[in-house]
Amino acid sequence: MTAPTPTTDAESALKESGHGDGPRPQSTGEKILRRTGRAIIVAFWVMVVAFMLIRLSPGDPVTAALGGDAAPETVEALRKTLGLDVDPLTQFWQYFTGLFQGDLGASLISGIPVTEMLRTNLPVTLWLILTTVVMTLVISIPLAMFIALARIPGLPYVFRTLTAIGLALPSFLVALILLYQFGLVWGIAPIFGYDPTFPANMQYLWLPALVNCVVLVPVLSRVLYSSILDTLDEEFVETGVIRGVRSFRFFWFYVLRPSLAPTVVLLSYMMGVMVGSTVILEIIFALPGIGRELVTAVTMRDYPVVQGIILVFGILVVFLSLLGDIVASILDPRVKLT
Amino acid sequence: MSANPVPGVSPDSLVEIRDLVIGIQRTRKDRLIIVDSANFDIRRAETLGLVGESGSGKTMVCRSLIGTLKRRSASIFAGSIIFDGLDLANLDERQWRPVRGNRIGYVPQSALTGPNPVMTVGKQLGEAVRRNRKRKDKDVRKRGMELLDLVHIRRPEVVYDQYPFQLSGGMRQRVMIAAAIAQDPDIVVADEPTTGLDVTVQAEIMKLLQEIRSEFNMSVVLVSHDLALIDEVCDRLVVMHAGTCVEVGTVPDVASTPLHPYTIALNRSRIDIATPGAPLVTIKGNPPAVGEWPPGCRFAERCDLVQEDCAVGRNPALVEVRPAHWSACLHTELLGGSHG
Ligand SMILES: Nc1ncnc2c1ncn2[C@@H]1O[C@H](COP(=O)(O)OP(=O)(O)OP(=O)(O)O)[C@@H](O)[C@H]1O
Ligand SMILES: [Mg+2]
Repeated sequence: MTAPTPTTDAESALKESGHGDGPRPQSTGEKILRRTGRAIIVAFWVMVVAFMLIRLSPGDPVTAALGGDAAPETVEALRKTLGLDVDPLTQFWQYFTGLFQGDLGASLISGIPVTEMLRTNLPVTLWLILTTVVMTLVISIPLAMFIALARIPGLPYVFRTLTAIGLALPSFLVALILLYQFGLVWGIAPIFGYDPTFPANMQYLWLPALVNCVVLVPVLSRVLYSSILDTLDEEFVETGVIRGVRSFRFFWFYVLRPSLAPTVVLLSYMMGVMVGSTVILEIIFALPGIGRELVTAVTMRDYPVVQGIILVFGILVVFLSLLGDIVASILDPRVKLT
Repeated sequence: MSANPVPGVSPDSLVEIRDLVIGIQRTRKDRLIIVDSANFDIRRAETLGLVGESGSGKTMVCRSLIGTLKRRSASIFAGSIIFDGLDLANLDERQWRPVRGNRIGYVPQSALTGPNPVMTVGKQLGEAVRRNRKRKDKDVRKRGMELLDLVHIRRPEVVYDQYPFQLSGGMRQRVMIAAAIAQDPDIVVADEPTTGLDVTVQAEIMKLLQEIRSEFNMSVVLVSHDLALIDEVCDRLVVMHAGTCVEVGTVPDVASTPLHPYTIALNRSRIDIATPGAPLVTIKGNPPAVGEWPPGCRFAERCDLVQEDCAVGRNPALVEVRPAHWSACLHTELLGGSHG
């Protein structure tokens, strides 16, 4: 260059002089911390609601345990041992302070500590969630990529129709049909039971996870499909092609990664919703997860167990959506953690 | 007059575009023609302006030069684009590779969506530098810095590791220019490269393109709506209307003696030379839509000087009315006093 006078953009000069700029941007670490703080607050409220709900609903654990016609003295004695003789506010305070010592109370029925119960049952539920997430992604991503990139006439139409059907199916029905078909007719999946060690548990989890997929894949693959179409329309794909980017690198950096954020956020949100439906799945597939435990506890009015499990569910939902947002913002820097 | 319907057979022609027809094959039988008979040359080390209203097919012509029509489900149905003995109209994907991005660079339209949002500047420059060849990371980085320096980015070592969203629009466009010239191409195609940037930044980007063109002896194809800008930075220009080239010539020639009523109308509607206070002159009517082109001259309906023979027969071809100055108007004799 003959006269290398460094030119500057008016815009960037503006930026650097400090005008036209918002408040100091927070680092990702700070944002994650702030989100975690918010998550804890949400979890607290979930706990409060769980505590109130179970007490507001009709029936109580003492009558559930002793039956309706027990002598008043027996009832009173049991109330005392269970710590239900004090007013709910005091009960809550005891529960709340207990939490900080890792004490979630014990089952009113069996006397087993709730933490103990979670230790054995929670992993089953977590494994089911993890298997579901992995399976959903493994099915949805290639499916959406293929439909978007193959450019086969009529295929997107078939895809939309099939996913609409998948969406309309209630998951318990799908669960029963699949269980019947895979478990009884073909005999390729165990119809009940569980093995808590890793590769062995997959044998019991793949079918319930597949049921979740029937609900999740239609939603996610459709969202991903339309994100990919939007991405393919963007000019940066053109610039990539022109720079000679090909094969894996192209599909990952130019097609999939810029499209994934909405899908990831949605998946994390949907998984939160699915935490509820795992209750049904755990019952149908007789999996010893916390969902099944919850149903038993609710019928028995087993306050500490219900509170403990709902608290865990609440934390799971909040944590999953936090995780989704973090992953999305790592995949796509345009996505801002808020 | 019609002895030489082909413009610009000149020793310094780098690219010769002849009777180029671009369209979309909608069904087996149904073709939507978007550009027909594009005819012009790109000369060595010139800046060639491509002007015309929205929808006239400028972007399609640009895409045909970088082989990205297929991505938009469009293709070339006829004609040729001769570039250094190659016919770009007939290359397959494999044959495009050594040309696209290597010998013909591209600056995207939008600074907003031109750079890949999920990759750092350095990574994207790296791709342009490497071109799928094995090269040491250190060398790639060095060359990347060099390129950023060429496009006058201050503190290249910082920008290199930043994501596009951290940069201003002007900076992003500089990065895109850096990537486009990484392989020292013969031609850089810039399709409205300053869309969405503010005016001062636009001027800086244009200045940069000019500077790079002269330093590296490249040809630049510059698409713009802005006639004032074309006048300022281009050597020659091609005026497009409804999928055809209606006038081709040097900027001074076209400015002093425009040979097509459409060019005259475009000039009249320029904002920069409008008398302050006077109402803005706009071009009468709208350009005919793609797929609904009338017979004969497609500007006839909007033309003040329309004659009986204008709206019949085929779309008139470019004719060299004056030396190195082509027009597709059948009645250039009527234009005598109406220019300026
Ligand atoms: N995939 C497509 N299907 C149908 N029509 C299309 C398609 N792509 C482009 N067109 C049409 O082709 C015409 C020319 O488009 P092109 O983008 O080349 O115009 P342009 O001159 O670049 O306009 P602009 O100044 O707005 O960028 C437009 O009318 C557009 O609507
Ligand atoms: Mg365009």
